[in-house]
Amino acid sequence: MGVLLLIGTRKGLFLIRGDDERRSFEVEGPLLPGWSINHAVLDPRDGAIYACANSWVYGGTVQRSGDLGKTWDRSEGLGLPEESELKLASTWHLEPGHASEPGTLWLGGEPGVLFRSDDSGASWQANEGVLEHATRDKWNPGAGGLITHSIALDADDPKRLWIGISAAGVFRTEDAGASWEPANQGTEACFFPENRYPEVGQCVHKLLAHPGRPGRLWQQNHCGVYRSDDSGASWERLDGNGLPSAFGFALALDPSDPDRAFVIPEESPENRVTCDGRIGIYGTSDAGAGWQLIVAEEPAWAAVLREGMSFDDEAVYAGTQSGHVYALRHDEVVEAARHLPPILSVEAAALQ
Amino acid sequence: MAIVLLPGLLATEAGGQKRLELDAATLGEVLRALPVADLVLDERGEVRSLVRIYLDGERARDLTAPVGEKSRIRIVAAIAGGAL
Repeated sequence: MGVLLLIGTRKGLFLIRGDDERRSFEVEGPLLPGWSINHAVLDPRDGAIYACANSWVYGGTVQRSGDLGKTWDRSEGLGLPEESELKLASTWHLEPGHASEPGTLWLGGEPGVLFRSDDSGASWQANEGVLEHATRDKWNPGAGGLITHSIALDADDPKRLWIGISAAGVFRTEDAGASWEPANQGTEACFFPENRYPEVGQCVHKLLAHPGRPGRLWQQNHCGVYRSDDSGASWERLDGNGLPSAFGFALALDPSDPDRAFVIPEESPENRVTCDGRIGIYGTSDAGAGWQLIVAEEPAWAAVLREGMSFDDEAVYAGTQSGHVYALRHDEVVEAARHLPPILSVEAAALQ
Repeated sequence: MAIVLLPGLLATEAGGQKRLELDAATLGEVLRALPVADLVLDERGEVRSLVRIYLDGERARDLTAPVGEKSRIRIVAAIAGGAL
């Protein structure tokens, strides 16, 4: 089966269709010209595409297409309640809900907010548990703002999910969002002068839950790569053996093997380019005990953002801020596209 | 009927309409009646900070300003280039 890559860029959305072997790719786009697409995803339940579309003039919204990008409908009325004294600044990540809840969507945005829709994005409700969280006054914005950028669903239980907020950390709900508990034990906030293991305030860069092993989470953090095997109750640091840097944003998993994961480290928080003058995708096959380098391209000084890597059953895909898209399959890298606008997100879906 | 002129992206979001005619008494009523009202106004009903409204050629900030039968309202995206 081929792959459909949804490439969110600073200047529109691109669709890339790849063949069964992930060797030949065709680029379509830009769709939604004029919009900056922080994230776009295909809902496997009904085939709709959702895009977190943002304009520096007209604000943040969600665009939905039921015909693979030919026509679009914008979510109107997306905003925060007046009593919150907050305004929605931008939309960052859309996660289709559990398979048992058709029409349910989760949406993360700035400033550190979460929305739920139960009508495929026609209307949205701000999650009060996140909006009014008791620790909110300890959250601080990162370079991208105070953003809810990761929404991870439990494979079995639709009432359990995790969110990642920069820089507030990971939060878990067991009651479909009514209440949220911090889940940061063991993750470092290395930028704090004291108390580097607080309850909240960690700068999670990307959080993923393995779709085949309930309770196994991975995160690329500002301060390391971590894995949890107890639903986020505790975290083990993994970047001591084979990674050139603890810093990075992108993260991908292997749906068929919960011990495999991929990251793209960057030099440092002050120098955000890929390490050692090349685009290096580092993979582990032993749950993070060791990491091996796969070179996508060199020389290169690129960067892959937090939504810039995705995966399916066949391959891992990465898109750079310099507009290149790579597919990694069986340790072989193929260039899928070049000279796109700066890439903000990559998602892979089955090509029907 | 007041005439509203939309810039490119707003016109696209309004189904390709660059020019609209709306029957309203105030500037705020005109903006709230637009098919792209959520893009011009934020969730408090305030004009977004980088949107500029011109009423009959003059910069308009007061949404209670009256509009006449022949008023011409132009919506402009502020100059904000360089970093994008």
